[in-house]
Amino acid sequence: MKTLIKLANLKKVFSTDEVETHALSDINLQVRQGEYLSISGPSGCGKSTLLSLLGLLDTSSGGNYTLNGHEVADINSKQRAAIRNKEIGFVFQSFNLISELTVAENVALPLTYRKDISKTQRHEMVTAALEKVDMAHRTKHYPSQLSGGQQQRVAVARAIAGNPSIILADEPTGNLDSKNAELVMSLLDKLHAEGATICMVTHDPRGAKRAERIIEVFDGRIVSDSIVNSDDIEEAVA
Amino acid sequence: MNIFSDINFAFRTLIKNPKFTALTVFVMTTGLTLCIYMFSFIQGTMVAPLPFKDGERIRAVDMIYNGMTYQGTSIRVPDFDDLKKRVQSYEVFDAYDIGTVNLSTNDRAVKYTGHYVTENFFKISEAKPLLGRLLTNDDGLSGAEPVAVLSHTLWQSLFAGDADVLGKKLRVNTKPTTIVGVMPDSYQFPDAGRIWLPYTTTGVGVERSKSDYVAVYGVLKPEVTDEQANAEIKSLMAELEVKYPKLNSNTSARVWTIQEASMGDGTAVIILAMELAVGFILLLACINVGNLLFSRATEKGKETAIRTALGAPRSTIVMQMMWESVLICTISGVLAVLISGLWLEQSNRDLLEAFPFDPPFWWNMVITETSIVAAIVITLTTAFVTGILPALKATSGDFNATLRDGTRGAQSKSAGRLSKVIVVSEVVLSCALLLLSTGMVYSVHQQNSIDYGTTIENIFTVRVGLPEAEYKSLEKRQQYYQNIISSLQAKPEVADVSLTRTLPGNWASYENIAIDGVDYGKKPQYPSSNSVGVAHNYFQVMEVNLKSGRVFDSRDKIDSPLTAIVTENFVKKYYKDGDVLGKRFKFIETDQDWYTIVGVVNNVLHGQPTSLNIEKPTAFVSLQQTPKRFVSITVKTVAADASTVVGLSDIVTSVTQKIERDAPAYDVKTLRASIEERNAGMNFVSELFLVFAAASMVLAFSGIYGVMSNTIVQKTQEIGIRRALGADESDIYKHFIIQGIKQLSIGLVIGVPMGIALVKMLEQSSLAQGSLMLYIVIPALISAVIFMAIYYPVQRALKLEPCSALRYE
Ligand SMILES: Nc1ncnc2c1ncn2[C@@H]1O[C@H](COP(=O)(O)OP(=O)(O)O)[C@@H](O)[C@H]1O
Ligand SMILES: [Mg+2]
Repeated sequence: MKTLIKLANLKKVFSTDEVETHALSDINLQVRQGEYLSISGPSGCGKSTLLSLLGLLDTSSGGNYTLNGHEVADINSKQRAAIRNKEIGFVFQSFNLISELTVAENVALPLTYRKDISKTQRHEMVTAALEKVDMAHRTKHYPSQLSGGQQQRVAVARAIAGNPSIILADEPTGNLDSKNAELVMSLLDKLHAEGATICMVTHDPRGAKRAERIIEVFDGRIVSDSIVNSDDIEEAVA
Repeated sequence: MNIFSDINFAFRTLIKNPKFTALTVFVMTTGLTLCIYMFSFIQGTMVAPLPFKDGERIRAVDMIYNGMTYQGTSIRVPDFDDLKKRVQSYEVFDAYDIGTVNLSTNDRAVKYTGHYVTENFFKISEAKPLLGRLLTNDDGLSGAEPVAVLSHTLWQSLFAGDADVLGKKLRVNTKPTTIVGVMPDSYQFPDAGRIWLPYTTTGVGVERSKSDYVAVYGVLKPEVTDEQANAEIKSLMAELEVKYPKLNSNTSARVWTIQEASMGDGTAVIILAMELAVGFILLLACINVGNLLFSRATEKGKETAIRTALGAPRSTIVMQMMWESVLICTISGVLAVLISGLWLEQSNRDLLEAFPFDPPFWWNMVITETSIVAAIVITLTTAFVTGILPALKATSGDFNATLRDGTRGAQSKSAGRLSKVIVVSEVVLSCALLLLSTGMVYSVHQQNSIDYGTTIENIFTVRVGLPEAEYKSLEKRQQYYQNIISSLQAKPEVADVSLTRTLPGNWASYENIAIDGVDYGKKPQYPSSNSVGVAHNYFQVMEVNLKSGRVFDSRDKIDSPLTAIVTENFVKKYYKDGDVLGKRFKFIETDQDWYTIVGVVNNVLHGQPTSLNIEKPTAFVSLQQTPKRFVSITVKTVAADASTVVGLSDIVTSVTQKIERDAPAYDVKTLRASIEERNAGMNFVSELFLVFAAASMVLAFSGIYGVMSNTIVQKTQEIGIRRALGADESDIYKHFIIQGIKQLSIGLVIGVPMGIALVKMLEQSSLAQGSLMLYIVIPALISAVIFMAIYYPVQRALKLEPCSALRYE
């Protein structure tokens, strides 16, 4: 399969009030289309930062990032926005739904930033996405009227509504009980089965076991990168 | 927790946040100061009863003629006599007369306004003489010894405060008169008098049309309302109109308080406008402070929820927030009372300087008990409104939802709605208020810069009144005119001299006329026109342009047919075809011969520059043909600005003194000053509205900016989410601008018509003037503020990388 993401010596330094935090150093990573990647590591090791860079939510302090054959550093902010919109779907630990918008409006949001989608098309895509996460019966509800698991399913629907090629999930089950976590994880499985590329941050071993490839980060560096199958998952996590 | 620890807690919170406290106190103080100032001003000048026992029931009765109220000596004596016989609403119904009197002692002559009064006049105004006695009704009987009561001022200036003044003589209009009393300095009713003489004006033996006018006043019976009194006087006047169609056509009367009368026709409207304006400003202040308290309460929403979860009763939490706003409003209230007190004092001083007359004696522009009570009530109400509502709102949410809320950071939905309502109301209020105040300021500006139709800056004026007895003969009056003009012209400072009955900008006599050839029917509704007598060189001296025909000249003699020169308004109104030369009209009341129109000149404005006066027609008549005793001398200076000529008033007064000792000059001033004095009241009100405009602008604009930018800051995380989902910068701007436009349009759709309606309301009394420019500029200004309040905070939020925006708390 074709290489979608290529990171070479990627660096991220946060400098605040004379303190320099080297959140990421010398990250080299390639992700092929259709891969299911799990990123794990202790808190503060730089997982979210890595995901932000992958999702073009932040700019690196050094190194190269090639996305789909394009050098990210050469892309202007308008084009980045377009890439985030079409190619990337985000799922956050804290759901990040917009409280003033209904479920349907939240899901439709990324589609409204596209000029090439008609209203009816948008409606169809929203309905399809909500059906996939089994939330089509709650379109008129507001986020505060939903349980955490339901909110996260809506967030997943929003991430996939525009058929992105990559889904970036940052601890998507971190705020959920095990039952709801299971539901969301199987959703991601399903999406993967349909061909989506998934990068997911998790420190939940049950989550990690679903991935094909596990990246371990420690202190801003990738310390292990292993392809796994479901049989030897216990060993990989241990 | 008990109350004291609650207060203590609130106090500590305020001290811990000095910026927040200073801001809220500033906003609240601004609102309360304007409110208390306005309340005390209206109370002290117009509402509080006259300081007499029956002060609440004392009324002036004034004539309405052609829809306009004429004040003071406005009722014809026979009308007054008829009314007095028939009115039922009054305990006292009486008249006094006002006349200019020449006073002379052995060594000097002066001219003052004298009041001709009855016993009632002194009784209802609770007069107590400083020396001697008051006037009695017997003093007014024919054959009684002529007596007078002097004011404190005259006693000082004419007799140097001589304690033995009683019994001394003074010539009043050349008649030797005995001084029987002196009034204390404090006595004023209804304005500052100089000398009081017995009321002798009578309609007996005088032809109705030639009779004098008197000022009528009364004390209402306790149970009679103003509506009843007005209805009565109107119906009685209507009967007189039927009985005397020629004299009384278009004539009615009104009953109002002396305070109202002193402020004139538009008073009620001005008061309403002022009350609305301060009400709006206070509302703006409340909204802003309430919003500041509320947004802080929502910031602490989680803390509140946790405390509720831990069992703190809602009332405790509400009370703590309440105390904060009570403290803020109390501090502001105290500051507001102090500031408005100082401001009132300043206004008192300003008014003393700016007004051409002494302020009315009942004016008491200070903080009184009533204003303190009002201040307390207003302060507590605002404390309640700004405290309890946000507190209830902030604690009303399901605390469980707050704790659970997964859409963290973002504003709660109802808070979002509230801030929209706030922005909309601030747009409405500021728009209406700005339109109203700029409309007033604009109209005063227009009026001050209006063309009076004559030259102004190089004119100096004095008024003289020739003594009646000596100047019965018209030829003698003409002789005087001749002398005064030639003597003044001889002075090197003087370029030219003329005479007029009425100066530009001053009230001209507005008389019913009949146009030759028009049948006015059985119940005549006569048209009217200003009538102004002028010397023949008036148009040339005053630079009034002749439009057609000729100006007065030697053909217009005392014994030749009467001629008149009319203004363009006159032609426009009464000779639609423009063919006017040679046409005739006459003045109904004086019932003289026909006047033939020989010329047309440009419009000259008499009275204040209101639209009504601007459109009034004027007929100039010749002072040579109808010489009058009272005239204004207009002295054109060589200098372009008459106010720069040193010693001019001495020159003019000494010349007048030399020519006629018993006709001293008075109202000695430049024409510009005389016009400005007349507009002083209006300028004062407009300056007040300028303050309102400024205050509303500061409050509304800072409020709008605060609420909008706060909303956007609180939405930083939402901006991050939207960007993560693919919104580019222009999408984000667009999103907020569309929201802003929604609120703006709702606000403007309500606010603009409201403001225009207020302006229209005041336009009727010529207190405001709308202009398309203002109707565009004000909404544009408010829109600009909204866009700035969106643009800058959004720009700041966009400077963050999306991932930092997402982390923003
Ligand atoms: N905006 C920021 N400013 C400063 N330091 C940051 C910022 N974001 C992350 N960091 C730091 O970078 C490191 C990596 O953070 P993060 O990627 O969030 O860790 P993880 O997601 O693995 O828990 C941490 O030390 C964190 O404190
Ligand atoms: Mg993280």
